[in-house]
Amino acid sequence: MASSGGQLGGVFDHHVQRAVCDTRAKYREGRRPRAVRVYTINLESRYLLIQGVPAVGAMKELVERFALYGAIEQYNALDEYPAEDFTEVYLIKFMNLQSARTAKRKMDEQSFFGGLLHVCYAPEFETVEETRKKLQERKAYIARTTKNKDHYMTKKKLVTELKDTKDFRQDFHSGTSGFRAATRNTSSGNSDPCLPYSCELPLCYFSSKCACSSGEHTDRASNFSQDSRNHAETAEHCMHDDSSQKIQMKPLKNSLVCPGAQKTITSSEAVDRFMPRTTQLQERKRRREDDRKTGTFLETSTSSNEVMIGPLLPDIPKVDMHDDSLNTTANLIRNKLREVISPVPKPPEGKLEDVSTSRPLKQRRRI
Amino acid sequence: MAQKPKVDPHVGRLGYLQALVTEFQETESQDAKEQVLANLANFAYDPSNYPYLRQLQVLDLFLDSLSEENETLVEFAIGGLCNLCPDRANKEHILQTGGIPLIINCLSSPNEETVLSAVTTIMYLSSPGSGSHPELTAMPVVQCMLRFSLSANTRLRNLAQIFLEDFCSPSQVAEARTWRAHSALGIPLPRTEAPQQP
Repeated sequence: MASSGGQLGGVFDHHVQRAVCDTRAKYREGRRPRAVRVYTINLESRYLLIQGVPAVGAMKELVERFALYGAIEQYNALDEYPAEDFTEVYLIKFMNLQSARTAKRKMDEQSFFGGLLHVCYAPEFETVEETRKKLQERKAYIARTTKNKDHYMTKKKLVTELKDTKDFRQDFHSGTSGFRAATRNTSSGNSDPCLPYSCELPLCYFSSKCACSSGEHTDRASNFSQDSRNHAETAEHCMHDDSSQKIQMKPLKNSLVCPGAQKTITSSEAVDRFMPRTTQLQERKRRREDDRKTGTFLETSTSSNEVMIGPLLPDIPKVDMHDDSLNTTANLIRNKLREVISPVPKPPEGKLEDVSTSRPLKQRRRI
Repeated sequence: MAQKPKVDPHVGRLGYLQALVTEFQETESQDAKEQVLANLANFAYDPSNYPYLRQLQVLDLFLDSLSEENETLVEFAIGGLCNLCPDRANKEHILQTGGIPLIINCLSSPNEETVLSAVTTIMYLSSPGSGSHPELTAMPVVQCMLRFSLSANTRLRNLAQIFLEDFCSPSQVAEARTWRAHSALGIPLPRTEAPQQP
């Protein structure tokens, strides 16, 4: 267990790649097979040790590949470090810890010039001052995020009271939509004041729920960034929606639940009040159109027993989002789908996320 | 990642953590306990989980696990504490529930990571200038850190040095140095200093 001394060239215990755990219970298996390991701030470091680099003179390419994840302060080969035949060992020092964490997560077990890289942290290369700074930054980070969360919590509590009743109805409806792996926190979630997701609008609610519960696996390092990544993905997903102006606000709200990215604290009321001017004009236009189409809309919704052509899509109940422009948008989308899908009247179908692919008139580039 | 999470989609974060805690308490398998504890310790790295962890009393679970026979469990438990103790509320909880003696005990573990996590935890629990908790800078602890600061292990040496410089007063360090001449009381010499393996 003990390290074999502090001199260079020694093989440390924490450099050794551990065997992947294969006896995990199903419910806590992650996406990638991982070893059983705890990552503490001690173990993490701006220094990364890269083993298994094929000795083909590819140092420049290696450094370039790692530089994708952040600025590199220095790098060098470790000639004294024990390495397998025809492989080299490199040390790369990143400018900041987060880059190093991302690089390690992404580059570990990646193939490079025909070999598999093994990337691990190398905290023993740190100076005292670097270690001290590392510990202080961690403490500051926690103080920052906890402080922001407290601030958010008090605001959220006001909003929760307003939106609580609506949430349940929206949960039920949105839960049947095909909007990604919809997760529902039934009883414990909505009543728990600590849960920061309960006051989100439905589109975001499930996006953020996805982001939160998909981060379950041993390696907390990816846990943290996983949430950020999923959050970014779902934010993009929201962008596909037709009413991109309104949805642009959603990522803003999503950022509230993203653990590490709490840049702005906006309460839901502020977001609801903010409406871009163009949206208002378009919203009025849509209302007029919608009124016109309401008659036909009602007709076709009752003719659901007509002959179906093609596969039966899941039925989407009418979601009443507590926002006029969203409602008008949704109705517009449904009407368009109806027009497009078939000459035979069918119940309006279409998931909000499929808007971009089902618009007939204009090919919309998926972002 | 395009794959869907393999967890039951109806279980949220709190539910998942609850499931982990339940499994830890109920399982007979040492492997499963280690895996679950490692999982929880890694969750403890992310501040957004702290309300859930406090609610599920995971802090007490970590503290209790420090007394386990299984060294891996101790390593993971102290790692978890190290991850979450910089947070003020967690720190208060640990101090109030008498976690300090348990953590100080970890300083004498043969496991390198355990000792490192313990030193870091002690640092996070003290405020700079040795103000808050006198136990954390008691004579045995300072002596122990003095020994660590002479260790061949760079990581341990660095951490001990930071402790002595930032969290002890010069007089405490001087006193500990004179004491070192006599037999060290309180904390046995950890085996990390004299590694037996090649």
